[in-house]
Amino acid sequence: MVVPDADPSDETLAVRATAGDSSAFEAIVQRYQARVFRLACRLTSDTDAPDVLQDTFLQVYRHLSSFRGESQFGTWVYRIATNAALMHRRATARRPADSLEEYLPQFDDEGKHTATPTELQVVSHVDELLDRQVLADKARDVVARLPDAYREAFVLRDLEDMSTADVAHLLGIEQAAVRQRVHRARLMLRGYLSDLLGVKP
Amino acid sequence: MTHIACASGVDLLMDFLEGVLPANVNAALEEHVAGCARCAAFVASYQATPRILRDATEATLPADVEASLKAFLRARTTAFKNP
Repeated sequence: MVVPDADPSDETLAVRATAGDSSAFEAIVQRYQARVFRLACRLTSDTDAPDVLQDTFLQVYRHLSSFRGESQFGTWVYRIATNAALMHRRATARRPADSLEEYLPQFDDEGKHTATPTELQVVSHVDELLDRQVLADKARDVVARLPDAYREAFVLRDLEDMSTADVAHLLGIEQAAVRQRVHRARLMLRGYLSDLLGVKP
Repeated sequence: MTHIACASGVDLLMDFLEGVLPANVNAALEEHVAGCARCAAFVASYQATPRILRDATEATLPADVEASLKAFLRARTTAFKNP
């Protein structure tokens, strides 16, 4: 007796979909659509995310046969979504990325923080001190202001919680480069959150 | 022991938290942070930043966007033909 596979792996679904089983492709869409939408929102905007979502799954459909299993299927889908988001941003860029350098931490001549411990600590509580919706709007806005290279690395590593190794593989760069980009993004974003509270970074 | 100032310590923070620093540099940075209230506060807020932004940028797929995706794929692929 053949027991139906109640929860087939991504790879099994990909093989079935490549062989023309449209229900397998539908299952892939069901499994990944919410995650891809969230990723698209973080890499572009709520307005652009629906188009990125559609582009992503059309690309997944067209390129399923080229999935070689060299990376996890989820990482492969995320790579397609990340590229779709980047293409979309280039096509619809409304404004150049502006510098967030002003939010980098400040040091005196001896290399010591100029802010006090209390000032430096307050960012940890920004989500308790600001209105939830205000923070959500500001967060989306500032992530969109990051340079593309920083935003991709930060979103994948810190917001989507991927490992540094997986992000490096997905973006085709060294792990050290991922760490450097994520670090710069964290410093700028940390300083921005501090500035929202009227406190120097 | 290598001397570390706040500014150079901040430069090393990501590598420190990922555990990829050479042991002697790692030990020097640990010692600096343990004795520097400013850096201890900075490290805490640096680590909190991803969590705060992850929570603040959470998004759920709206039903109309999901429906549009299905209609889009139905028109361009062999999937979603059967309701």
